[in-house]
Amino acid sequence: MAMTDEDELEMIFAQARGLRPEPDDDLMARLMADALREMPGTVVAAPRPKPGWRDWMRALGGWPALGGLAAATVAGFWIGLTAPAGVSALAPGLWGEDVSVALGVDEDLLSLLEG
Amino acid sequence: MLDAGPPMTDKLRAMDAEPSPPHDPDGALLVAYANGDAGAARELVARLAPRVLGQAMRMLGDRAEAEDVTQEVLLRLWRVAPDWRQGEARVGTWLFRVTANLCTDRLRKRRRSVAIEDVPEPPDSAPSAGDRMQGEARLHALSEALGQLPERQAQAVALRHLEGLSNPEIAMVMEVGVEAVESLTARGKRALAALLKGRKAELGYGDD
Repeated sequence: MAMTDEDELEMIFAQARGLRPEPDDDLMARLMADALREMPGTVVAAPRPKPGWRDWMRALGGWPALGGLAAATVAGFWIGLTAPAGVSALAPGLWGEDVSVALGVDEDLLSLLEG
Repeated sequence: MLDAGPPMTDKLRAMDAEPSPPHDPDGALLVAYANGDAGAARELVARLAPRVLGQAMRMLGDRAEAEDVTQEVLLRLWRVAPDWRQGEARVGTWLFRVTANLCTDRLRKRRRSVAIEDVPEPPDSAPSAGDRMQGEARLHALSEALGQLPERQAQAVALRHLEGLSNPEIAMVMEVGVEAVESLTARGKRALAALLKGRKAELGYGDD
């Protein structure tokens, strides 16, 4: 027996009504992420990064402080290496007459070994 | 012509059983969501996603597109949440409306790009699963035919025959009178029958 157009349509409708798709985990995760992002009064907490060299630098006082620190290091190194006359002249005043200060190597080490 | 219509679905029976003014648990959850309750968000997603996905699947006959629509509908819901006034509208009615609108938008875009005669075979059809293939082909043909109807007719027919809503419920969803709904569904159904008539053999229900 031939189906009427109406019957055919009802058959397709019934089939469509039987469709009950379940959202999968991926879709649910996307929907939940949207919901939380759009939720009024939500402050999205940014993950805290691990401390890196920038944090150490900031703790020391940033670039200006670091500049001073670098200058002091270089000056100290230079003083130690060249032993300017001013330093040995200052030493007796601080530690007494009989203190001799040798800041730097001004003798030939090889000659000491020979003697 | 009188439409006998399909039997009511469970969710509609539940809807009808509620006294007036109807208590809308989804509305209460939405207000909680608007106040920053993440638990309400989770519950709303769990309750609403299957409903919206189902409606979109039945209208579009395409899983990927139905998922996109679901995401868009819920995104819109989150955005109206702060202005939601409980008691004025039901979340369920709102969802039916927005989902139907987004689906007919998609059907219209399809119509622009593909003529019905050129509709390709539905995707993911395993050659061995003959029955499933035919079932998918029917659903696909139904959504293509819905896309050929004027949008309001397509929405009314889908709400009536795919979602199983009563005419007064459709009137609320579509914000028109019940008489307008009756006219839209009757004309829409006739047009659908005519559109699908030419595809009998292809859809596997020829004279037998």
